[in-house]
Parts: sequence; C-alpha cells; structure tokens
Amino acid sequence: MDRLAILRDMALTSLQAEFQYRANVIASIIGGIIYQLTGFVVVWIIVDRFDALGGWTLPEITFLYGMRLTSHGIFYALFSQMFDLDRVLITGEFDRYLVRPMSPLLQLFTRKLRVNCFGDLIGGAALLAFAAAGAGIDWSPAAFALLIAAVIGGALIEGSVQVTMGSLAFRFLSVQAVRASTNEVFNLYGNYPMTMFPKVLEYLLTFALPVAFVAYFPASTILGRSDELSVSPFIGWLAPLVGVVLFTIAVRIWSRQSRHYQSSGS
Amino acid sequence: MSNLPGKSTITLDLPAWIEYARVHVRQAYMYRFNVVVAFLLTGLTIYLLTVVWRSAYGDQRVVDGIALEQILVYLTIANLQVRFLSQEVDEDIRDRIREGQIAFDLNRPAAYPGQLMAGAVGDMIGALPFLAVAIPVAFIAGELRPPDSPGAGLAYLASLGLAWIIAVQLNLVIGLTAFWTLEMTGFQMIYRLVANFATGALIPLWFMPDAVRAIVQVLPFQAIAFVPVSIYVGAAATGGVLTALGLQLLWIGVLALGIRWIWSRAFQRVVIQGG
Repeated sequence: MDRLAILRDMALTSLQAEFQYRANVIASIIGGIIYQLTGFVVVWIIVDRFDALGGWTLPEITFLYGMRLTSHGIFYALFSQMFDLDRVLITGEFDRYLVRPMSPLLQLFTRKLRVNCFGDLIGGAALLAFAAAGAGIDWSPAAFALLIAAVIGGALIEGSVQVTMGSLAFRFLSVQAVRASTNEVFNLYGNYPMTMFPKVLEYLLTFALPVAFVAYFPASTILGRSDELSVSPFIGWLAPLVGVVLFTIAVRIWSRQSRHYQSSGS
Repeated sequence: MSNLPGKSTITLDLPAWIEYARVHVRQAYMYRFNVVVAFLLTGLTIYLLTVVWRSAYGDQRVVDGIALEQILVYLTIANLQVRFLSQEVDEDIRDRIREGQIAFDLNRPAAYPGQLMAGAVGDMIGALPFLAVAIPVAFIAGELRPPDSPGAGLAYLASLGLAWIIAVQLNLVIGLTAFWTLEMTGFQMIYRLVANFATGALIPLWFMPDAVRAIVQVLPFQAIAFVPVSIYVGAAATGGVLTALGLQLLWIGVLALGIRWIWSRAFQRVVIQGG
C-alpha cells in the first residue's frame, strides 16, 4: 500500500470509530451548527439593532462570517487532533507514532475525527449561500477562485498556528490553554470587519497573529472593499499563499521541536 | 442493573466532602499556568466586546435606557464572572466513564454527585487567588467601575453566590447525561452554546429581540450572568433586586430536585467500560 492509501484508511477508520456512537454524531453535527450559528446570532442581533458595524452591512458581515466559518470547518476536519496533543504526549501514545513508518504529525492528524467540523462546514456554507446574493458581489471567475482558495488557505493558516503552538508541548507538556485560547482569538476576532477596530489591533491581527488573512482580507477583496484596508489592497489575493507558506514553516518548527520529546514512560 | 455497594441517594457526608474539596484546591494550583492563560484570553473576549459595542453605539450615549458606560461595565464583569463560574465537572465525569474509573467513584461510600459538588467547591476556592490576575486583566481590557450603589454591591455578592450554585448544578446535570450516552461531546457543545448565549454575557437581555428574550427568560442560564451583573450596574431586570434573587433561589430548588432524580436513575444504568 502506498502512503496515500494508508492515510485514506486511517481517516476512514477514525470516521467509522465516530459513527459507533450514532446519537452522539448527530448531536455533534447539530450542536456544531447551532454553536456556530449562535456566534453569528450575536453579530446579527447587534448589526440588526444598530444597522451596521464598522460600515459593513448585514449581508457583508454574513459573508465574512461564512467564509471564516467554512475555513474553520476545514481546519477542524484536518487538524482537530492538535487540541488533544497534550493527552497524546502525557499518556505516551506518541511513542507508538514514533515506531511506525509514517510522519508522527500525520498520524496525529488522522488519530480521531471530531464530527462537529461538519457543523462548521454546513453552517459556513449556509451563511455564504445566504449572503452571496444580498452582498452585491461581482461574481467573476477570479472572485470565485479566490473564495475557494482563500477558504482552504484560511484553514492552513489556522492549522499553522495550532501546529506551531502544539510544538511547544514537547517542552512544556501542557499548553492546551494557550492553544484553545488562540483558537478562540481566531473565532472571535476573525468574524468582524476590522474597520471597527483600532489601528493597533488591526496590525496585531495581521502581523502578530495572522487572523486577518483567514477571511477578512480576501472577503474585502471579493466584496469590493479592499480600498479601505490599512495594508495594500492587493493583500486579499495573496491570502491563500500566506496559508501555504505559514503551514510549511509550522511543519518545520514541529519537526525541530519534536526532537525534545521525552516519553512519559507509561 | 448495577450491584455496586455505593450510594444511589445523596446524603450529607461532610468529612469526605472536605477531602474532595482539598484535592481540587491543589489541582487548581497544579494547572495554574493554564488558569492564568484562560483569564488573559477572557481579557481578549472582553476587549473585543467593548470594541464592538463602542462601535455599535457610535455617537449615542444612551440606547434603550442603557448608557454606554453601563453596557461596558456589564460586559466586563459578566464575562469575567462566566469564566470564574465555568465548571469542569462534566469533563471529569466523561473521562471517568470513558476510562472505566467510574467504578471506583461509585464504590466509594460518599455518593458520586456529592463528591462532584465538593470538588466544585474546591475548584472555586482554588480559583480565588487568580482574581489577582483576573481583575487587572479586566481593568485593562474592559471597563471596571464600582457598583451602582453600596446596596447594589451587596445584592450583587448575594446574587453571585447563587449564580455559582446554579452553574455547578447545571454542569452536573449535563455531566450525568454521560451515563446514558457515553460519548457526549455533542451534548456538551449544545450545552456550551446555550450556556454561553443565554447567560446574557455576550448580549445582555436588554438588547435581545423580544422573541429571543422570551426564550432566554424561561431558561436558568441568565441566572449565571445577566441577573447578578444587571444588579451590579443598577439596571436589575423587571421586578427589581428581590425578584431577581427569588428567581435564582427558585432555579436552585428546581435543579436540586432534578439532580436527585437524574442521579437515582443514572446509578441504575451505569456501564463500566473495560476493567
């Protein structure tokens, strides 16, 4: 069997494992949808009550939210196991990964599937579909291509941050709080038009933590609002590339840091 | 049916409870780094919310009878409080059931819900020193002001205590569902979503659309954040402070009965994994 076939089987196995608990799978997916839509309801209620936020209308913010959520769903489908890394290290499960002829990082990714990612994907796609008509978007082939590429690139950006943070676990063992909380920063700040933020915050969310690249920059481009960005209007087109570059760097950092792994011995 | 020698009814067992609480106080200290980080990131939530609401208010000073300053103080305290009151009892139960260790818990002479409640008391005591981090964070990220009046301050403290009890009870109810579902991440998520939104910490009940508010008002979650914090900023919900406290007491009673009932059934249903 070649590598891809093994990976596919591992992914399928984790999917089957989840479906053993059928009621929970359904609850997870529905829960995932409701959970994310609740986050959206918060934005919706505020925008509805005050007409606009940061100059963005409800359909525009819905589009931004949908893009970010879809990205997050892809991220969660591929990389959710980063959130369980502490457990994998502390229980010594990681020892097993080291003796198998495949990258330990890939084994970690395919360890288990968190089905609530389907909730994010369905919720995100629904918001995008809902907003696509009302936001007055010029659907050129280039805009459509950017949407697809940016959604995948956004997942890689979130993935790169989590893999980098995860690398710290080899030295500090318990960094789950940092990872969960960084994830929350993406979940919170990624959904709003940054026109409403102070400039310092906008720069922090661009250069310190690449939140703006996940959805805000490409969404601004697709919505024809890129002239209001504090950085070059061209940046929206580059966002997917940023995802690829950051993820490559993150995997490098992981490989270096994983040399510090000390088995718990159990 | 289980033939465990443990207890299916919850009885007072003070010395055992004190020991559980002590273990949990120590645990809070063990995970101090994570706790501090959690508070720093609550600061990020608070900061985002104040930015969003400032932007929403724009040039208006008062909307629907609520001043900008009131809403900012409200958001700051409500989110800090929700973090402080957040419970991990449900995660404990899930892990114990998944690993089969629940058998040991159930065999102990103190009933399991009592063990968990005592643990939650320990968690709270263990969390108190972290106020030294949390309050400065909230001060920087959001807007902290003294309570509306000394009376409001006192009523807030009473209401906060009741809010803690309700937070633990609700978490226990969710945790005990693991006896039926084994895998419960889905239910946990739904719980978190409802809990998060319906506490009113993100959008206070004043600004919810009428239909949404009507639903939230009949749920217990508002007792965790909205009820105490609206007292603090001097904008207690309809009926004033006494009605608010009465509502909390009512929920405590209802949930206590609920837990008793669920536990008597859960104990009969237990499945020990592995072993």
